[in-house]
Amino acid sequence: MKIVVVAERKDGQPRRVSLELAAKARELGDVEVVEVTGERVSTGATAAALATVAQGADLVLVGATPIGRDVAARLAAKLGRAYASEVTELAPGDPLQVTRSMYAGKVRATVRVPLPAVLSVRPNAFPLPDAAAAPDIVPVSAAPEDGLAFVRFEAAKSAGGRVPLAEARVIVSGGRGLRGPENWKLVEELADVLGAATGASRAVTDAGWRPNEEQVGQTGKTVSPDLYIALGISGAIQHLAGMTSSKVIVAVNKDPDADMFKVCDYGVVADLFDFVPKLTAEIRKVKEGG
Amino acid sequence: MRILVCLKQVPDSTVRVKVAPDGKGIVTDGITWAISPYDEYAIELALEHKDADPATTVSTVTVGPARARDALRQALAMGCDDAAIVVGEASGLALARALAAFVREAKPDLVLCGKQASDDDQGFVGVALAEALGWPHVATVTRFASVDGGPAGSFNGVEVWKEIEGGHEVWRATGPVVLTVQKSAKEPRYPSLPGIMKAKKKEIPERELSALGIDTSAPVAEVIAMQPPPARGNGVILKDGDTAALAAELARRLRDEAKVL
Repeated sequence: MKIVVVAERKDGQPRRVSLELAAKARELGDVEVVEVTGERVSTGATAAALATVAQGADLVLVGATPIGRDVAARLAAKLGRAYASEVTELAPGDPLQVTRSMYAGKVRATVRVPLPAVLSVRPNAFPLPDAAAAPDIVPVSAAPEDGLAFVRFEAAKSAGGRVPLAEARVIVSGGRGLRGPENWKLVEELADVLGAATGASRAVTDAGWRPNEEQVGQTGKTVSPDLYIALGISGAIQHLAGMTSSKVIVAVNKDPDADMFKVCDYGVVADLFDFVPKLTAEIRKVKEGG
Repeated sequence: MRILVCLKQVPDSTVRVKVAPDGKGIVTDGITWAISPYDEYAIELALEHKDADPATTVSTVTVGPARARDALRQALAMGCDDAAIVVGEASGLALARALAAFVREAKPDLVLCGKQASDDDQGFVGVALAEALGWPHVATVTRFASVDGGPAGSFNGVEVWKEIEGGHEVWRATGPVVLTVQKSAKEPRYPSLPGIMKAKKKEIPERELSALGIDTSAPVAEVIAMQPPPARGNGVILKDGDTAALAAELARRLRDEAKVL
């Protein structure tokens, strides 16, 4: 089977999900890892450039980052291929059998995908072996797209160089229990000792305490990190749908009846303003103790 | 400016989804249907534009079963000018081709779709529609603005805000373009009472999918089984006691039992 992996860079380095896919693809067949070079290339132009190299491939794998998902969909449409997005498991064969979530995480579906196909694959779906050799990445250049031009980038105020939510191995999320944006330091300090991304419930983004891009759940991001810590989040069904595939869930809430406690692996019934600084200190100790 | 919003009727987001006995779909008896949430954001973006520029028209279309008329009625009640339904079942590339056939006739300046439907979560149709039309598209859009110039009322292109990690890219489209809409700052409006009354009187023209004359053959990913996510629960609940001791115990368990530290 011939597989093309479309790599993406962040801060000059291949993204972790690109490396995960390159390693997975090596198990499945002959792999070519490619990337479209150039800054701010439109999705249509990216897909057009990739179409030439992807034409002969049985399978194209793209990391389901915000950009990757978009590129994968356009490429699948351009090539007229079967497509599945945000795949979390993949069994080889023709058709391939993949797993993906539907209904914003309320359902897990097994999907049969005839080859040739394009898949976008969620970060953290496949382990990255420690010894994985860095792939050779073949550059592909794109021609500008008619009718669409990049104008400028407007940075978000809160983007503090943290790990992107979708790729994070650890996420600390805050809900209405934090009482206001001025208390976000509690979330951020815990996230800092864990090297985590920060998330938020919909109540919080709707109130404008945090930007929309931090929202976890329906109409936000669906995540599956190794560790998800929910601080003061009651656990509305739309939020739960977006994070219950996390490996380990920790809930901290004052209300013992909060729905988050029904899905958590570890729950702490406590006042988070009292508890969280102490947890941050304890985790710092564990981390420093090695 | 002439805006067309493509929408899909899906189970309301508050519905507790149950997998059907055959495992290939969900139980739809008695559930509440609604406009897919991102499509509602798309309608809101279009209507905000109309609020600012009354010369703007906002049309909506859906491809789906007859019950999807209710979603169109809702869109009209929110303030859309007109609505049309293409009755039939299509997904993926075939659905994109059906919408493309509709767009070629309706000739809007701008097509808006939600970035993904909240049932299949594929995020494919809007993008594939752009490809079928040979138009550019911009994904995860939270805002757009007309580019001034040209005769009054004419379409002179749009500037579009695309949400990406860490901020927004601003893109300029000089001609027709498909935008797939992300959740934006403003919540979709509720229909007003006069809006609801007006919507009741509006005709929703209907045509059959088979009458569009499109090629419906396309390789598709087929759902063969559905399951609820693995059950969770029976977690360890720590409470009652000194919070410092609880914190120490949680940290120890995360390190030794869960092995995530």
